[in-house]
Amino acid sequence: MDVLLKELSGIFKFFEDLFLGIQKLLQPPKAFSWQTLIYLSVFSWILSYFATDLIKTLIAFCGWLFLILGTIWYTTDDPLRVPGTFMPVGAVVTGFLLSVFAFGHGVQVITPRTLVIWPIIAALITAIPEFLEGTGTEAKAQIPKPEVRQKIIILVGCCMLLSCWIQFYFVLDKWLTEYPTLLADKDNFQHSTFVIKIESPNKVPQNGLMLLNEIQPLVEEQIASKPWSQVERWLLDAHQRVDKLGKKVVEKNMIKSGEQKLWRIEPRIFNNKSGYRLDILSIWAGPSANASKYYLKRSCQIEPVKDKNSTVAEITCDPYSKLIYGLPPARQ
Amino acid sequence: MTEELSIPKILPIGVVLFNILFLLVAIPIEAYILNMRLGFDKKSSIFYAISMNLFSGVIGWTIFFLIEPILPGQWRAALISYVFFSTFQNSNIETVLIFTVLVIFFTTFLIKFSLLKVLLITLNGIPIKEETQTSERSRRKRTDKNKIQNTNLVTTTLIANSLSYSAITLILLIHQK
Repeated sequence: MDVLLKELSGIFKFFEDLFLGIQKLLQPPKAFSWQTLIYLSVFSWILSYFATDLIKTLIAFCGWLFLILGTIWYTTDDPLRVPGTFMPVGAVVTGFLLSVFAFGHGVQVITPRTLVIWPIIAALITAIPEFLEGTGTEAKAQIPKPEVRQKIIILVGCCMLLSCWIQFYFVLDKWLTEYPTLLADKDNFQHSTFVIKIESPNKVPQNGLMLLNEIQPLVEEQIASKPWSQVERWLLDAHQRVDKLGKKVVEKNMIKSGEQKLWRIEPRIFNNKSGYRLDILSIWAGPSANASKYYLKRSCQIEPVKDKNSTVAEITCDPYSKLIYGLPPARQ
Repeated sequence: MTEELSIPKILPIGVVLFNILFLLVAIPIEAYILNMRLGFDKKSSIFYAISMNLFSGVIGWTIFFLIEPILPGQWRAALISYVFFSTFQNSNIETVLIFTVLVIFFTTFLIKFSLLKVLLITLNGIPIKEETQTSERSRRKRTDKNKIQNTNLVTTTLIANSLSYSAITLILLIHQK
């Protein structure tokens, strides 16, 4: 009982501390402090919601101003620096707000230009205090010492280079919207030295792939080295047989999966010159973003082979599956 | 530039890494040359090398961003093909390529030289104006000295730039193999 009480009081203590911390953070210690500015910005944001046209823009402008000033104040109170540099995190945050304020407009808050300019603005914000002497209200312009100047020049240079890289990303993005076929390239940018594709190495639905991998050996077992006439008969009622196998495989491998009822396996058979082509499809019947559904296809080639005095079947399946968007071809 | 942000499809990680690699190769070489030929102390020669390379990189990128949209179709296709697939689509682009590399080399040389000049002025303070009373002879002497220093600066930048470019070309050749 004692232990329980202790635990309880500990929990209460924790919440009390948390509450006190929040109160300390939210309550301005004096009338003139950074919290006041943030509150002013929230207040003008709410007000601007009710106003119209010019007044709205004006009030929103003031809101931005208060927010930026408040952030500068808060972050210079206790500078936490970006590791490895003398750039305070506050400068990064303020730089972001400033560039959003400068280049974001209307609905589109963050534009490419915002992101490109951000590092440079952050660097400049870091550099500005070095040019001012003294604290608080009495500031005097000065040219910093050569060492400090060197530091600032290198920082600004690095940030400009960073901006260039971001800009280059947007150039690539522009190229891709101009030539979308580039993305559909079979090579998938795997041999590219300069760019990596971050979309879709894992785009093939894994469950569908797993089902095909499981059912393929079962089908091969039923066909390989069987007499050709028997195989042709098998292919005639392939639908039932593959259906059966498919249900078995789904039940066996997806007991715990919610997708159990959403996958089904169907065969498609085509005549070709040397024999038959058997396509095994695992079809997704569940929800998908595309209005048209998709399915996975693995193709197997079935051919007659002379073996001593009888003809037997040989089956070779592709080692990969294809993901195809759209409805599967109709049953014959 | 499109005005909309979308989820990134590709990232130019390779470009960034190559850029960093080039900087890491070029900076020590150029710093060494500056230290050796101009007699700066080690710290400031490293500083000059870093800032020369950073800013010439930035200026180079800016020129690229300005030129890229107005390139003729075939060159643009070659550029895109090189960035995305590391190959040039057609081989008759070679003459243009060699010419471009030459232009890039001399442009960087000029940019680096002017950067060095600007940096020297901004960091060591603006040179004091010559007094009017100095005799003709000493003034001539001083301009001569200035001239010598200037040529020395030019040759040093040229040597440093050539060496760092050779190193980078070597890396690119090794990479191609």
